[in-house]
Amino acid sequence: MCLLERIGRAVKRDWQLYVLLLPAIALVFIFCYLPMYGIQIAFRDFRAVQGIIGSPWVGLKHFTDFINSFYFGRLLSNTFLLNFLGLLWGFPFPIIMAILLNQMRGKRFKRFTQTSIYLPNFLSPVVIAGMLFLFLSPSTGLVNRAIEAFGGQPTHFMLEESWFRSLFIGSEIWQRAGWNSILYIAALTAIDQGLYEAATMDGATKFQKIIHIDIPHLIPIIVMLLILNCGALLTSNTDKAYLMQTAGNIPRSDIIGVYVYRMGLLRGGMFSYTAAIGLFTNVINFVTIITVNWICRRLGETSLF
Amino acid sequence: MNAVKIKERSISRTKKDVTFDIVNGIIWFAVLLAVLYPLWLVLIASVSDAEAIIGGKVFLWPVDPSFSGYRAVFQHQEFMRSFLNSIFYTVAGTSLSVIVTMMAAYALSRKFAGKKAVTLYFLFTMFFTGGLIPQFLMNMQLGLYNTMTLMIIINCVSVWNLMITRTFISTSIPNELYEAAAIDGANHFTYFFRVILPLSGTIIAVLCVFYGVARWNDYFTGLVYIRDDWKMPMQTILRRLVASLERSGSADAMLDFFGDAASRAERLRLAEVTKYSAIVVSSIPVVGLYIGMQRFFVKGVTLGSLKG
Repeated sequence: MCLLERIGRAVKRDWQLYVLLLPAIALVFIFCYLPMYGIQIAFRDFRAVQGIIGSPWVGLKHFTDFINSFYFGRLLSNTFLLNFLGLLWGFPFPIIMAILLNQMRGKRFKRFTQTSIYLPNFLSPVVIAGMLFLFLSPSTGLVNRAIEAFGGQPTHFMLEESWFRSLFIGSEIWQRAGWNSILYIAALTAIDQGLYEAATMDGATKFQKIIHIDIPHLIPIIVMLLILNCGALLTSNTDKAYLMQTAGNIPRSDIIGVYVYRMGLLRGGMFSYTAAIGLFTNVINFVTIITVNWICRRLGETSLF
Repeated sequence: MNAVKIKERSISRTKKDVTFDIVNGIIWFAVLLAVLYPLWLVLIASVSDAEAIIGGKVFLWPVDPSFSGYRAVFQHQEFMRSFLNSIFYTVAGTSLSVIVTMMAAYALSRKFAGKKAVTLYFLFTMFFTGGLIPQFLMNMQLGLYNTMTLMIIINCVSVWNLMITRTFISTSIPNELYEAAAIDGANHFTYFFRVILPLSGTIIAVLCVFYGVARWNDYFTGLVYIRDDWKMPMQTILRRLVASLERSGSADAMLDFFGDAASRAERLRLAEVTKYSAIVVSSIPVVGLYIGMQRFFVKGVTLGSLKG
């Protein structure tokens, strides 16, 4: 009775807040929690006529099938390497950009620069992929015209599997590096100006100020973002990889998200098998992010939740 | 900070700083060139003559300027209809997202029984999802497949944006304001509409851009959930036009479009320039939104870094 009474009193007092929360709770329920209920399809053999609940149980069959299949190693290494190399090449750019921007003289030029480097972030993956296809086209693209002008042979970049990762990561850096520098820029503007003035008085050069003031202040954010990124090494940037996928580069561009879409929905049919693959990676991602967050908390800096 | 140890140097420090500034200037010139040149290239190609583009002559200024590409885009019925669809999805979806997010964020910024559980309910979805296939099957069963409703209500609440907004409200609007309003007889509803919304201009602008851009640029949802061409969002159609390999003959959507107009060679030329024009037209809304709202960004993004 006591509990019911307490609930009753809480509802009476806070019901308006619950009403304000209701639409968000309902939408998250429909698009996030109902699918979690649907995960059981990974342990069943989906048949359209019988629906999710009526299809027969098969236990871990789909998981073992996946682990034993030719695609297991290929998908896992493709996904991991694309993320890992992307982190390796892409991570330093925003930091360097923020530091150099912070040292820039001239307010107007600084503003113009900021506006420009954030801009690509707002373009859609279709536009990015479209630009790659257009510029790199062997018959009409500018890049191959330039190669020809210098006496080279035109290359069909989008069909070459060896070019896929460079193009993917390169365009990712082009699009996101500027935008990702915002956090570092904000951290740098929060530094007490007195430090710089004191350093100037002591005769420090700009370079010395970067080494002794800027970088120590950025270290906590750098560490946190680095660890967080490590928690996302098996996630898929499905849109872009799918958009850039061609018959030629498929041995490299086939990452988990794209494969699940292709086999589960595009060709149709393999619902249970692809749901199992999805669950497999989601669980790995979940465990990594929890571990990573735990490490963050232990380090005493910041945690995500 | 005591880590700053500066050694006395006999060399003139201004000279060193001048060198630094010059090097820094050169680096930024190169960076800006790398960032802006591809965009410039698309822009000049979209108003150039197709022959010049294919010949590689368009790399600095438009060559033989013409608007034939843009004319073709605006006459392309499929593209224009999907463009209007996307405007509808974006405006309706963003409005819904912003209002739902603001309401929930306000509630989460106040104390109430069960607040921890509700917060966890939202946060959990950031780390674990059902995955594409279970979500697809569920939406199928709910009858949302191939509906315009789905295009508006799916991904409506971004938990990340929700947390940013909650932090904004609880840090920038003092609690005393609520107490004062409560004495005057305000309840949560009137307080939310009369006080919170008018004071949240910055965060609403940030939400509009984040939600709006995400919706406008979303390609995958249309690909997975929409079957009928007339409901397609623009990104899907744009992809058909620009982001596929040129194939011979009728497989190229652009070539089809110019079907009766002229010879195959002529069609190929028109198709080439139209691709550039389509990219420009499709990007104008987001770039416009970005330029118009950019002064709010640093604030909005920085809020996200605060611990929730």
